[in-house]
Amino acid sequence: MKNFEMLMPTTMKDAVESLPEERTNPLSAQATRILAGGQDLLPEMKDHLAEPDVVVNLKGVDELSGSVRNPGSEASILGTGRIHIGALTSIAALASNAEIREEYGVLSKSAESIATPQIRTQATIGGNLCQRPRCWYYRNEDTVCLKRGGDECFSYAGLNKYNAILGGGPSYIVHPSDLATALLAIGATVVTTQRALDLSEFFTLPSESDPTRENVLEPNEVIETVLLDSSLGASNGWKSTYIKFMERESFDFAISAVALMLKFDGDKISEARLCLGGVAPIPWRCESTEKLLVGRTIDDKLCEEAGEDALRGAEPLEFNEYKIPLTKSLIAKALKELA
Amino acid sequence: MSPNPIAQPEWKKRADMKVLNTDLRRVDGEAKATGRAVYSHDVRLPNMLYAKFLRCPHPAAKVVDLDLGPVSAVSGAIHALAIESEETSFLGQPVAAVAAESLEAAEDAIRAIRVEYETSGWAVTEEQGLDPATPSIGRRGNSFVDRETGDLDEASAAVASADVMVESTYTVPVQHHCCLETHGLVVDFDGKRAKVWASTQHVTGVSQQVAGELSISTSDVEVITDYMGGGFGAKFGIGIEGQTACRFAKELKRPIHLMLDRADEFLFSGNRSGGRQILKAGANMDGRIVGMTAEIWRHGGIARGSNPGQPYIYSVESSHMQMGSVHTNTDANRAMRAPGHPQASFAIEGIVDELAYALGMDLLDFRMRNLEDPVYHRQLDRVAKEVGWYEHGYRAEPNRSRGGKNVGIGFGISVWGGGGRPVCVTSVRIDPDGSVTASTGSQDLGTGTRTYVGAIAAEEFGLKASQVIGRVGHSAYGPANGSGGSTTVASLAPAVKDAAHKAREQFAERLASWLECSAEQVRFEGGEVYSTAEPGKRLSWAEACSILGSRPIEASGEFQGHLQTQGVHGAQAAMVEVDTQTGALKVLKMVGIQDCGLPLNRLAIRSQINGGMIEALGYALFEERVIEPWLGYALSANFNDYKLPGCKEMPELVAIIDDDDDRQQVIGMAEPTIIPGHSAIANAVHNACGVRVYDLPLTPDKILMGLTKKA
Ligand SMILES: Cc1cc2nc3c(=O)[nH]c(=O)nc-3n(C[C@H](O)[C@H](O)[C@H](O)COP(=O)(O)OP(=O)(O)OC[C@H]3O[C@@H](n4cnc5c(N)ncnc54)[C@H](O)[C@@H]3O)c2cc1C
Ligand code: SF4
Repeated sequence: MKNFEMLMPTTMKDAVESLPEERTNPLSAQATRILAGGQDLLPEMKDHLAEPDVVVNLKGVDELSGSVRNPGSEASILGTGRIHIGALTSIAALASNAEIREEYGVLSKSAESIATPQIRTQATIGGNLCQRPRCWYYRNEDTVCLKRGGDECFSYAGLNKYNAILGGGPSYIVHPSDLATALLAIGATVVTTQRALDLSEFFTLPSESDPTRENVLEPNEVIETVLLDSSLGASNGWKSTYIKFMERESFDFAISAVALMLKFDGDKISEARLCLGGVAPIPWRCESTEKLLVGRTIDDKLCEEAGEDALRGAEPLEFNEYKIPLTKSLIAKALKELA
Repeated sequence: MSPNPIAQPEWKKRADMKVLNTDLRRVDGEAKATGRAVYSHDVRLPNMLYAKFLRCPHPAAKVVDLDLGPVSAVSGAIHALAIESEETSFLGQPVAAVAAESLEAAEDAIRAIRVEYETSGWAVTEEQGLDPATPSIGRRGNSFVDRETGDLDEASAAVASADVMVESTYTVPVQHHCCLETHGLVVDFDGKRAKVWASTQHVTGVSQQVAGELSISTSDVEVITDYMGGGFGAKFGIGIEGQTACRFAKELKRPIHLMLDRADEFLFSGNRSGGRQILKAGANMDGRIVGMTAEIWRHGGIARGSNPGQPYIYSVESSHMQMGSVHTNTDANRAMRAPGHPQASFAIEGIVDELAYALGMDLLDFRMRNLEDPVYHRQLDRVAKEVGWYEHGYRAEPNRSRGGKNVGIGFGISVWGGGGRPVCVTSVRIDPDGSVTASTGSQDLGTGTRTYVGAIAAEEFGLKASQVIGRVGHSAYGPANGSGGSTTVASLAPAVKDAAHKAREQFAERLASWLECSAEQVRFEGGEVYSTAEPGKRLSWAEACSILGSRPIEASGEFQGHLQTQGVHGAQAAMVEVDTQTGALKVLKMVGIQDCGLPLNRLAIRSQINGGMIEALGYALFEERVIEPWLGYALSANFNDYKLPGCKEMPELVAIIDDDDDRQQVIGMAEPTIIPGHSAIANAVHNACGVRVYDLPLTPDKILMGLTKKA
């Protein structure tokens, strides 16, 4: 690991001021980096994928919270009644929060599925959303692919068993965050030091802008809070689940994951939200499938149609075709679980 | 009085044993679990330097320029050495090394070294190795055949005329040892004498090799391996790390700590060779395999690879085998727990299943018809009962139903030698304060050597296991063989028994006058000493020892051939569940039975069976070295991408010691327990859903694609 200076700001103002205004490309070359739980940044530094001169540790920033709060009817410019999750909230705290479990089972389940108990205790929600890809070319210091500022995606014609089948190109990473998939389904909002962003606007496809980044954060923009849309909770009649498929159950990143939220009118689906993880460079919302589900009763036929529809645009690479039948099966399992 | 003729040491009858052949908890378990145990990694000496390697990032390259100069500018860096300055022949080969005041400074120094490489062609796959355009890797060319048995025409004719015939190609990847403690050592050399802490499977060998490197005599090298974190066959020699540590120690006159990092471990400290096996086999309606041809290609990187050959344990009327190697520019394979055998097992157990299904015959019954040794019949029957085979619905055809989760069962068998050899010299000492020590230079790889060394002496003196201190892993405790081929116990236990036996005879002699009897009448039982002439008059062990005054008893022991033998058998069964919608594989249960002659520590033996099954489970489910075939990058040189099973992958494990084996001699048994588990799992997957995966590991993508095709 390269030597670095660690700053311990106590106010958000100081934290933001110590960060650069301009983004250096690629991100790995950024001379100043934000540190939260360190579960991704430190391994990246040890592997020399990131070599910052300055690390800004957020743990001492007063305004940043490490807990889940429900301000209830308390007035707030951001709206009332939403659950606020401080950016420093650990994944373990998120997984064990009773209110979230009650309201947003999909989020608890996704949090529980992450890594190991040790890592969950250290890792934060903010860091989880901003973690870098796991593509094994990217993670190898010797390869300088598109993501690291090179000019080729090695996965595309390489060993791409774990890569994207949807939304890929020119980089074919899959976004590694489990929380992202669940939070997108819940319609979460990311509040930063500069703006409030719907999660669907937070992530960016490699084809949309710059393949070396995964989200739209500016270099001096810090996530403060994640807000959950209260109209999409269990108390408003929503049922939800998260199914994650891993090669190794003990701990692994998703090969494919399904976050599903349904509202019923009798046995008919009245509203639906379906997001996929582990299959695209961003958490992948399936809006047409959501429409297809509305008004229908869950049966084998619907399960099949939903899977077909969600994976219609899938373009497998040489070694990841299996993700198509796999994801279809996971969608069917999720639907049956909520039926 | 004429001296008693020394009686031969003999193991007690099993029924008479109080310590041996029981469940003994390992004596050093607590030290290990609490972190008190000091491993080579943990050694810190005053003035010590840390050394580290620079690896070549290409499979093969000419070293055009190696500039160590920039190292001097790194704060804390002390010295740099060129290891290979002309040409590298495998991915990750060390080209230079540095020694520095801290590990961090060593890492910075490594990164400061400038190397210019020129790559021209290389091979990391079999196909590339066979490509005539690939530059020569080995001295014998990039591929060669070095073993042929049987008559090809005869065997082919036998296959062709059989009632059913199958032909399949089985492939296994390269597996890593994954020792928790990486390779390495600490060398403290003052110019005359050296003290070395080594993570090794051969303490005696390390003293000889270090002496050679430092140009001193072996007696001036003290080697300590108090604890070590696993070897599995990869830690016999001192390796490049030992040579380099010695070079630094000699030049710098400071203690050197050189332990490999995890990537080093994956890239240049050995592995289990991969391979490809093309088997054709024919069987008749009576359930006999009548013919087989086998073409075997070992993938040992720059080394030869290993495979014991086919038809392995099964008897085939007419068979032919041709075995060869294909070189690639990857790390040389080394011995790894039962070298070659798991590879052979995977192919043969697969083809045996395929033949049985082709005949529509019970898989177990078919196996027995082709196994001559009755031990396998009883062992297979035992594991079959334990796993629920006789109640299983799919014994002669796989379950082909789709949509749910299917359960399947599979089998595999193993064979091993496990005999000892005359190397170890041990000692047993009884002190007047009542303490007893049994010492050996042999290392404890984690198998429980320390525990049984003490236990053998405890049994001899009628003491509890905890009353004897077993001392291992020090060159001063006498020569011992390398722990390979499961030879440790059969080499060492007889020598410890011999020393304990002699110590007991000496002690009896000394006590005889006190007890007013002859030495033969002295008995050591239940922590007491008495004479058969007057059993009512007893001395406690402490009282008896105090009689020794200022003259402790010390006896030395040597290998006693009659106390050991060789030849063991094993059988395993696996029960799995396959989700036919996703390809998810869950191993529900594994059952392993193993014979081992006289069991010394039953708990340790069951642990070895469990460990073997778990290691085979990893080979079955995940383990695979991945090297990018087009660019030559190492993609799995870390524990994220090289997956090992974790707690959630653990099935119910049933470890059975085959007590029908009544041989009264000790035999090593640790290696064979890893041989058949993955084969049983692969067969169980097929039994569960009709999908046969011909190339390990059995990842869900392969199972699912198989299921989609068969649907
Ligand atoms: C072995 C292992 C297994 C894993 N398995 C999974 C898994 O199954 N599923 C999964 O989702 N994840 C998994 N992870 C990833 C892990 O969850 C993330 O690394 C972790 O959540 C990152 O959070 P952190 O607080 O430690 O972030 P850090 O490592 O401190 O930071 C990560 C990144 O986020 C940035 N950052 C952090 N906080 C903020 C903020 N408030 N505002 C702006 N930028 C910020 C940092 O600059 C850095 O780039 C695994 C990790 C490991 C090591
Ligand atoms: S998928 Fe992305 S990270 Fe992986 S090799 Fe391609 S560009 Fe690099």
